Amino acid sequence: MTNRRHFLSGMGTMAGAVAGTIAAAVTGASVSKVAMAALPEPATQITPDTMPPLHPTTGRPYNPVVTLNGWTLPWRMNNGIKEFHLVAEPVVREMAPGFKAHLWGYNGQSPGPTIEVVEGDRVRIFVTNRLPEHTSVHWHGQRLPNGMDGVSGLTQPSIQPGKTFVYEFVARRPGTFMYHPHADEMVQMAMGMMGFWITHPKTKHPLIDEVDRDFVFLLNAYDIDPGAYTPKIMTMLDFNLWSWNSRIFPGIDPLVVRKNDKVRIRIGNLTMTNHPIHIHGHEFQVTGTDGGAIPKTARWPEVTTDIAVGQMRQIEFVANEEGDWAFHCHKSHHTMNAMGHTVPTMIGVDHAKVAKEITDLVPAYMAMGDSGMADMAQMQMPLPDNTAPMMTGDGPFGSVDMGGMFSVVKVRKNQAAGDYKDPGWYQHPKGTVAFEWVGALPEAKRLSPEGTQAAPENIKPEKEIEVQIRKPEGHMHHP
Amino acid sequence: MNYLKSSYAYWDIIYLLPKRSRGYIKRCSAFTACITLSACASFSQDGGFAVVQQTATDKLHKNVQWIKSDVDRQQVNDRNKELLAQALTVDAAVQLALLNNKGLQASFDTLGIAESDLVQAGRMSNPGFSFSRLRRGDEVEFDRGISFNIARLIAMPLTSKMERHRFEQTQRQVMMEMLIMAAETRKAYFIAVAAEESVRYLQQVKRSAEAGAELAKRMKAAGNFNSLQEARELSFYSDAALNLARADQARIRSRERLIRLLGIDQFSEENTGVTSFKLPERLPDLPDVLTLTDVKTESDEEATVINKLVVQRLDVQAAKLNTQQLAESLGLNKVTRFINVLELGGVRNTSNQQATQHGYEVRLELPLFDWGTARTAKAEALYMQAVNQANQTALEARSEIREAYANYRASYDIARHYRDEVVPLKKRISQENQLRYNGMFISVFDLLADARSQITSVNSAIDALKDFWLAQADLEMSMTGKPSMISSQSTVISVSGSAAEH
Ligand SMILES: [Cu+2]
Repeated sequence: MTNRRHFLSGMGTMAGAVAGTIAAAVTGASVSKVAMAALPEPATQITPDTMPPLHPTTGRPYNPVVTLNGWTLPWRMNNGIKEFHLVAEPVVREMAPGFKAHLWGYNGQSPGPTIEVVEGDRVRIFVTNRLPEHTSVHWHGQRLPNGMDGVSGLTQPSIQPGKTFVYEFVARRPGTFMYHPHADEMVQMAMGMMGFWITHPKTKHPLIDEVDRDFVFLLNAYDIDPGAYTPKIMTMLDFNLWSWNSRIFPGIDPLVVRKNDKVRIRIGNLTMTNHPIHIHGHEFQVTGTDGGAIPKTARWPEVTTDIAVGQMRQIEFVANEEGDWAFHCHKSHHTMNAMGHTVPTMIGVDHAKVAKEITDLVPAYMAMGDSGMADMAQMQMPLPDNTAPMMTGDGPFGSVDMGGMFSVVKVRKNQAAGDYKDPGWYQHPKGTVAFEWVGALPEAKRLSPEGTQAAPENIKPEKEIEVQIRKPEGHMHHP
Repeated sequence: MNYLKSSYAYWDIIYLLPKRSRGYIKRCSAFTACITLSACASFSQDGGFAVVQQTATDKLHKNVQWIKSDVDRQQVNDRNKELLAQALTVDAAVQLALLNNKGLQASFDTLGIAESDLVQAGRMSNPGFSFSRLRRGDEVEFDRGISFNIARLIAMPLTSKMERHRFEQTQRQVMMEMLIMAAETRKAYFIAVAAEESVRYLQQVKRSAEAGAELAKRMKAAGNFNSLQEARELSFYSDAALNLARADQARIRSRERLIRLLGIDQFSEENTGVTSFKLPERLPDLPDVLTLTDVKTESDEEATVINKLVVQRLDVQAAKLNTQQLAESLGLNKVTRFINVLELGGVRNTSNQQATQHGYEVRLELPLFDWGTARTAKAEALYMQAVNQANQTALEARSEIREAYANYRASYDIARHYRDEVVPLKKRISQENQLRYNGMFISVFDLLADARSQITSVNSAIDALKDFWLAQADLEMSMTGKPSMISSQSTVISVSGSAAEH
């Protein structure tokens, strides 16, 4: 169809790269080809890589965003109306190299493609349902006619499998938004159905600064048993995969910026818990929420901002410190991949002798955990199929021991404008890396306590509790 | 056969010869007759043992020896040494039992006793002589006498025949005992091997539980476990120790039972020339195909096939012979019709003239007689009692063969299911658990619990395999005589499987 060619030709400098990864979806048997003829051909994405920004060639100009491990949905202009086509469908999402999940998403990926429009645009979105059950799309945070709000049963009939619905409204308010189903919502979000929406300001906005790099991603969480592929949709609390755009470390791409770039990162939370997102080496300000831009007088500097459930935060900072700066959720379990939450602590338990007995019985057994869990990342033992290690990541100085919601902001002096390619590990200037002290260690000074407890206890313990701390001695390495 | 014996009374008559008689020998014409008769009943070369030996060869493919001399004993000792040189196979065990079981030797001796009775019955007993010298004053009276068993002489043809029957019964009895003993040895062997295997596995379970307990103690000492968690792991250990003790008890019992059957006392080298036997580490593998499939239970031929097997059975044959002999001894001869005792109670009117050859193989037909010629009601009762007993024997035989066959098939399916499904699945579970341990999804305690559960399933598989071999022994036995059908004492133990539910 001509409109597809039109999309491809409109992709500016990065068009070649994008063209390679966008393919026309084969029209599903459940959707009549004749019925689809009047619709924009749905584009689909086959890789989980971060696509370069999609520079607009039609409609009002704007400065596009970069979706972390994602892409922006092409559109067509139809009598001044921006037409998009979302296809809700089952997808296979690579959450990390070697680990794929069977999710539901839009246009080939979960999350779905980012929709970018400009304040005042009239937008028409065709939504085709290729799921086995009904769905709907709610345009989170938008000002729109009530009947376009996408709450099935309440504001519209649900979209039955095989059917296509049309949503149409004017993007009235500039800002950061999301979209997600509002039909069997719990299941469909647990399965990965969600996407980002950016409404760029029409003109220069006093509270919306122009930035050099504008990243977006959604926080999501899954519970996939090690060795399985499909999320357990009934899980409420004990998720084992904490992801950004349905990717987990080490599968999350770095946020590559040029030194002194003004950087904006927009983050939306569609998990069922809050996430304190933290950056190293810089301070940022929260400049907006899904409610809109924050008055400059109300902003304050932070290095961590908590993003509550269903909220969006846009943070901004000037990337003026070169390096590979960790960027992650500060809940430490959220920077781990799947693990056994009931595995007992083995720290301080010398099981070398017992290990021999166990090995007789379980030949592949290896003692782990008696000095902590980092063994896990170092030993690289075989895992169940399709399972990301609990902690992993091979950094320039060894294992990063991380998983889940963790990535790196790479600030480089020589990164070209508009270049998002990974520049590799940071080359530290001489003498700026922590190093091992090889001299003598002075005796630790003991301080006498000065405080006392608030009140004496009523019942004294029968015997004083001894706290034993096993201090590392000599080489603690495992075979 | 008590009534047979009781039907005949033995009594001795002493003929007093006239005083001063000299020519007593001439007067005893019967004496000559008895000498002639005695010539037809002498001891056989083999004491009737050849038939037993033949049976051992035919049905067991083994040798059997009646130890009567030091040479025999030496031969057996040499053979023992040969058989005991390697780990015992089931065939070697049966062979050892056939050569060494003292109960079997005792039953061979019964054969000897029965034969001498038979020979005795065919001989005139030695005449008794008496001589007395009486003095009455100066008169001296010589009294010479000769005595012999005249009634025995009269009854001799009959008693000889009866003793012949009795001897044949004894032979059958001895053969049965031998076959039963062989079957029991077979079973005892499998039970003993399985018990040894079980012990080894339960030792592993115990070791795993021990490792868990030790680790739990260290966890407690390090402050990572509380008392409850520690106690749980310790309790797995104490259960495992108990299970091992039970398994060891079963092992000793099964081994001793085998020792009794083999007739090999490991502490008496003198008797056997050996000190001990060594059992193999494992039971024989489950065969890929069933070998004993003569018995078909689903087709129309079922009755035919089973009846064929039934008529081969020694106990059924004995029952049949018994009725024949009884008929003879009761003087019944006018057959009116035949009754097929394989057809539960169904009386078949078959004329005496009609050929009964047809399908004889699979029928067990006994004649009914014209009771009018029988002198007493007692005779009829006695005969019908024997017929009914034969009927019951045949009915039981059919049922036993069917049961043994069904048991054989079922135990094969179960053992195969264990081998092909249960154990491989458990193994897969263990492999997956290992991967989950590697990934820190489960703890070492879960891994140990899983190892215990895997071992338990292997142990159950051994048990199922043993049950199959027992069932096969029973089926084989059911084709020649009454099978014991007693399944072994199950050695399956319950091992608390999971420590995961902390
Ligand atoms: Cu978090």
